[in-house]
Amino acid sequence: MALLYEMVWRFLHALLYVQRTLVAWFRVHIWRWKRAVVGLLLPLALGFHNPKKTGPIGKRTSRRIRFGAEGRTLEKLPLHVGLLITEEEIHFTDIANLVVWCMAVGISYVSVYDNQGVFRRNNSRLMEEILKQQQELLGMDSSKYSVEFMKNGTDKQEHQVLSCQSMVKVLSPDDGRLSIVQAAQQLCRDVEQREKTSKDINVTVLDSLLRESKNIPDPDLVLKFGPVESTLGFLPWHIRLTEIISMPSHVDVSYDDLFGALQRYAVCEQRLGK
Amino acid sequence: MSEEEDVILETGESTVMSWIRERELSLLERLTANILKAGPMPKHVAFIMDGNRRFAEKTHVERQEGHSQGFEKLAETLRWCLNLGIHEVTVYAFSIENFKRSKEEVDGLMELARQKFNRLLTEQENLEKHGVCIRVLGDLTLLPTDLQQLIAKSVVATKAHNKCFLNVCFAYTSRHEIANAVKEMAWGVEQGLIKSSDVSEVLLSECLYSSNSPNPDLLIRTSGEVRLSDFLLWQTSYSCLVFQSVLWPEYSFWNLCEAVLQYQLSYRSLQKARDLHREDQALQQMEADRSCVAELLQHRGNGKPMDAQSRQKELLNYTASREERVRCFLNALQHKRDTFFSDLSSQAVVA
Repeated sequence: MALLYEMVWRFLHALLYVQRTLVAWFRVHIWRWKRAVVGLLLPLALGFHNPKKTGPIGKRTSRRIRFGAEGRTLEKLPLHVGLLITEEEIHFTDIANLVVWCMAVGISYVSVYDNQGVFRRNNSRLMEEILKQQQELLGMDSSKYSVEFMKNGTDKQEHQVLSCQSMVKVLSPDDGRLSIVQAAQQLCRDVEQREKTSKDINVTVLDSLLRESKNIPDPDLVLKFGPVESTLGFLPWHIRLTEIISMPSHVDVSYDDLFGALQRYAVCEQRLGK
Repeated sequence: MSEEEDVILETGESTVMSWIRERELSLLERLTANILKAGPMPKHVAFIMDGNRRFAEKTHVERQEGHSQGFEKLAETLRWCLNLGIHEVTVYAFSIENFKRSKEEVDGLMELARQKFNRLLTEQENLEKHGVCIRVLGDLTLLPTDLQQLIAKSVVATKAHNKCFLNVCFAYTSRHEIANAVKEMAWGVEQGLIKSSDVSEVLLSECLYSSNSPNPDLLIRTSGEVRLSDFLLWQTSYSCLVFQSVLWPEYSFWNLCEAVLQYQLSYRSLQKARDLHREDQALQQMEADRSCVAELLQHRGNGKPMDAQSRQKELLNYTASREERVRCFLNALQHKRDTFFSDLSSQAVVA
């Protein structure tokens, strides 16, 4: 009897696997089909005599997009978006696209995370890709934003709060639980040296200590890419009120996918316990 | 509309448990359960039971009724979990943030809690039969004293049971829990039980309210919201998160199966991530021990460099003594917590 149940279980999971693969395949191919169609029709619509009007058609945008204006149509825009990649194979170009689109739409802070520390180890490669994609997608020069690393608080960064200034941070699991442990060690050392007592320790004290090294606001939105349904160690302390929106994959992700997620975020209601 | 009669015998005691429904699964449900159980099953599931108030609005009843129905659904869900072989459940009953609600609603919820815990205390026999251990996690000092005493009595009464575990988060937020764990470690340092260099991820986990439970394998949030709302933030870093749009009082066995299926689909990736994390943790601990030993030797130092073998011996000695210190500290902490509950519980008797 147990064998029969096991067979049914295996069959069920095989079905689900096939379904997932088909859905992923369709997603990519329908996008490609859309792009091909638009690539054909758009010049026709605009008339052959004015091909320049097609504007900055990036790799993943099939129409001319005025990013800033689109951002303003949303009821609310997240201040800080976290891109959580759960997939094993990472395509830096797609990540760079996402980062650039986020910043163009008006999001001030973007963080990039994976639980194996791949981004942390390939920081420079990511930066290069971001600069490259910025040129390609937006056609502007790179003075519009600065890129920073998430380090352990020994760097004091200058913050220029200009209207178009955005910050990109690369995160890894060390910025999660390990940071909390390091803050705890600091507080315990203070207690050891009689600078504090255990009664002085509360949420506010711990929170301000954790904010010292990461001077960015808590993520309002986390976009999770990939089939794994978990935060995989992403900033546990900071995500207490973060909306977590899942996307199937970061590979070949389009601007429309991103904007769809931002629209979902815009309509969510946070009651904050009330 | 309950499916079985709650029979009150002459003595006034009920044969039915209020916290866990006694209903058996239908044939189809049993079949599905058996099929699911052929694969990996979560051992510990956490629920954010969201949607009571929206349900009340939808069905045009009072909010209080919505919360009441929510509790009934909890009892049903616990039964389904037991049927699926899930022996540990943690639920988010009341957040510290919920104190912001209207006085009427908060008082209503406290009253509901009083009712349910009182009822629980009359069901000792059933609880013992099923081996149900009830734990309440949170900052209980924020609650009215009589409720604190009721809770303490329930916790003490079911402490020794070990067949299934229900952890109720009441007056809880995850940040408070983590800050409290840090506070306890600082207390340990103050008492001279541990050193600040003994603080580690593992030790912090042992100081959380949930230290007697393994991390949840699966976290389910109902009503369509896709956030954690300050619930088990530390413990669910590598758990499967399932967000379902059904409102909590309308939760069904099939919703639960759907969530378990999702868990099974993410199982391998999560195992991998957890194993990776465990390895990292072990490495970090070893590094920390090494640097502590190096510092010690420097202090003790007589200028002579040590050979690799003696260094290794020192490292092993240090690790053993650290582990002993930590063990004593954790015993003291457990004792402190047990005393808190037993004191409260005996206060209730006297009063």
